[in-house]
Amino acid sequence: MERSFDLKVDSDARTSPERAPKIRRLRAPSSRSARALGTKAALAGVSIGMLFLLWYLATRYRVQFYIRFHDVPTPLEVFGEARHMVGSHKFAVDVGSSVRRIFAGFFIALLSGVGLGLLIGRYRIVSQLLTPAIEVMRPIPAIAWVPLSIMLWPTTESSIVFITFIGAFYPILLNVVDGVESLDGVLLRAGRCLGASEAQLFWHVILPGVLPNIFTGLTVGMGVAWVSLIAAEMISGQYGVGYYTWEAYSLVDYPAIVLGMITIGALGLLCGGAIRLVGQWSMPWLSYMNGARK
Amino acid sequence: MSNASKGRIDCRNIGVVFGSGDAQTEAVKDVSITVEPHEFVSLIGPSGCGKSSLLSIVAGFTKPTRGTATLDGVPIRKPGAERGVVFQQYSLFPWLRVRENVEFGQKMAGVSRAKRESTARTLLGLAGLLAFENHYPDQLSGGMKQRIGIVRALAANPQVLLMDEPFGALDTQTRTVMQEILTNMWQRFRLSVLFITHDIEEAVFLSDRIYVMTARPGRVKAEIRVPLPRPRTPAMFDTPEFVELVHRLKNLIREESLAAMGSELASGGVGGFGIEMGPNGVEEML
Repeated sequence: MERSFDLKVDSDARTSPERAPKIRRLRAPSSRSARALGTKAALAGVSIGMLFLLWYLATRYRVQFYIRFHDVPTPLEVFGEARHMVGSHKFAVDVGSSVRRIFAGFFIALLSGVGLGLLIGRYRIVSQLLTPAIEVMRPIPAIAWVPLSIMLWPTTESSIVFITFIGAFYPILLNVVDGVESLDGVLLRAGRCLGASEAQLFWHVILPGVLPNIFTGLTVGMGVAWVSLIAAEMISGQYGVGYYTWEAYSLVDYPAIVLGMITIGALGLLCGGAIRLVGQWSMPWLSYMNGARK
Repeated sequence: MSNASKGRIDCRNIGVVFGSGDAQTEAVKDVSITVEPHEFVSLIGPSGCGKSSLLSIVAGFTKPTRGTATLDGVPIRKPGAERGVVFQQYSLFPWLRVRENVEFGQKMAGVSRAKRESTARTLLGLAGLLAFENHYPDQLSGGMKQRIGIVRALAANPQVLLMDEPFGALDTQTRTVMQEILTNMWQRFRLSVLFITHDIEEAVFLSDRIYVMTARPGRVKAEIRVPLPRPRTPAMFDTPEFVELVHRLKNLIREESLAAMGSELASGGVGGFGIEMGPNGVEEML
């Protein structure tokens, strides 16, 4: 019996088109992929180059048509400021404070947003208990929390972290809730039929199933966290890149304003990129799903 | 893998009613079916006859409005590893590689890594899928995903296998091959199987016994024993016994499908939809 069975499987495999290991993502020939990569890099260079060119032209010729570039520093002036500042102790302290605040606020938002999101998405009773309160609080932007936050928290530092947390929390929470609610029910049924307990279902089915939503929430949450942090630092801060930028404005140090802006952008870019990298690393299966990208 | 004379499914006087008040519909009415240990039983009937409702009761996903379902005398209350389910939709976990999917049931049961890896590899080998053990489900074709679904259910060491139109989404060629693989697998493991399908040839080829269900509300219209010898081979599709049995079942099902579609067809006849058509067909009428 065993022999005839094996024979069957073999003949199936021979005639079946499934025989060859099929990889959906066919690798393009290397010369073509190298050219594609070259095109991509060139276009990226042009894209950012245009930005600098416009900036240069507008400030070099002091363009004025309703908006005034009269006092805006040129790229070279900002570069000079950067050479002077980057590497200085003051600048390192500012960047360090901002990064530390982002990490603290974002990390607390990550834990609470994912945890609460899973519970709200899974249990109707938790959702009915918590969703009304959350929906009432959610329209209040993180920046609007600044005055109250200063009253609430004993130190400036903790109040800024709190505002950062508020910014990151809602996008993470909402994406996780949405992920649990839209998880394919057949996966849960399959898990239960394979003997998974409720706790195992959470850990082995629901959590990996909503991981893509979690990372979407983290990406959006990180963006909002930076917005909230910078606003909070500008209003109430000591140290931090937001404070640095506002201080530069107060001291009429124009190149420093733009340097602060660029620093904020670069830090946001780095944080977003880091989340994307961790996402790709922890969800390798996603690269085999067919999206709509042409 | 074998469970000596265990795996008896017994459904008694099952009734299923959906909704309440005026919107109430009776999906299943007073159905009693059994699957003996090591027996392969199919449930066929027109769509909407409640065959999937019955399977989901045995699986433990839903509770019957009336009647009881038991496995080896124990009432079924919720899903459990002793009842493996193969779904019509693809249900592999997309974030797990093929072998991790197959290991899932044993992992939940706390089986050691080495033990479950060897079980998974053995079963994948039998299904001709060992070469794909490190692939992700989204890299595979529909037929392969469904085969892995069966292997995954088997790897959890169930006493019975419940299959809800598992080949419904596959093309005809793949389907035929899958039926052959399934009958060979069954020959090897001899699990009790409750198999839902609307494909009559499929039911005859695979089963020891077939329940034919009526249109909604679903009742058991006929219970037919398949006299074909085991092991089953594709050559049997052409034997007179096979053809005759399929013919008989087709007539039974046809009656029910007509009943299900109701009076609008009865008035006009199935052939012409009540429309007289000239020699130029539809074109003439426009």
